[in-house]
Amino acid sequence: MADRVRTYPGTRKPTPHQGHGKRNCVKVLERLSAYLDDELSGDICREIRTHLGDCPNCEVFLDSLRHTVQLCQHRPSPSLSAKDRAALRREILKGAASV
Amino acid sequence: MISQKKSRRGNDDGPAPSSSTSGSFDQLYRDHIDIMYRFAYRLCGEAEAAKDLVQETFLNAYRGYDRFRGDAQVSTWLYAIASHACLRMRRKRKGEPDRELSLEEFVPTSEGEFALQIPMEGLSPQEALENKELRQILDRAIAKLPRKYRMVLVLRDMEGLSAKEVGGILGLNERAIKSRLHRARLFVRKELSGKGLAGELNRSVHTRLE
Repeated sequence: MADRVRTYPGTRKPTPHQGHGKRNCVKVLERLSAYLDDELSGDICREIRTHLGDCPNCEVFLDSLRHTVQLCQHRPSPSLSAKDRAALRREILKGAASV
Repeated sequence: MISQKKSRRGNDDGPAPSSSTSGSFDQLYRDHIDIMYRFAYRLCGEAEAAKDLVQETFLNAYRGYDRFRGDAQVSTWLYAIASHACLRMRRKRKGEPDRELSLEEFVPTSEGEFALQIPMEGLSPQEALENKELRQILDRAIAKLPRKYRMVLVLRDMEGLSAKEVGGILGLNERAIKSRLHRARLFVRKELSGKGLAGELNRSVHTRLE
């Protein structure tokens, strides 16, 4: 019986790299940001999609990169209080006057 | 596909004040302080350092306003001042060189490294980010990035600028920006994957013990 492959919630079952070879996976990995940002030509996109259809690991990897970018894009950042905003302004003007 | 989100730069880029009087500075400050603080906070990861950076940025802007010719947007000009001030301030404090990130280090070598090991299933990014622990893990991952990569990630993916704009701000061509962005994303991705979080778990145990 084949060894059981560990799976993770929400992911497809990873399988070892098959006939298409690991080198192709690395080539795809190099272009995944450009792929996500829609910067590649139609031919290259098709090539990548073909590979992804054939390689669950790379597809899981692409999803994880897409989620990472989305988290960065939506990470809220704290804002300054009105008091800090006024205090900083005073400091800057004081600094500017002292030169 | 991820569509480049709409820039959140707000009400900037209006007509520039005509001279470096304190009145025009007030206008500049009022229009851009929130954007610049947000940017500074994202670069520094904490409030006090972000305030120092904002102060340095507007002080430099105040002094250099006469030299600003309006051939760039005001916000882009301020981003550039803040980015260079950040590099100078960090150099003064630490002086450690930036580590180069190579693509090879991001090629997964075991199964746990392909998927993110964080709760995102069925959640929008906003919903996932309601989880405080996830926010902390993400922030730490971004803070661990070598600064030249962090700057590109913050400007592109968090501030929502184009690769061309980021290139103009950092004085690099678009190709270099895209290459740094890709490595930065892969770095953060790895930190959120099984391998990255194993280290993160050790770290949080140590932190709790301190």
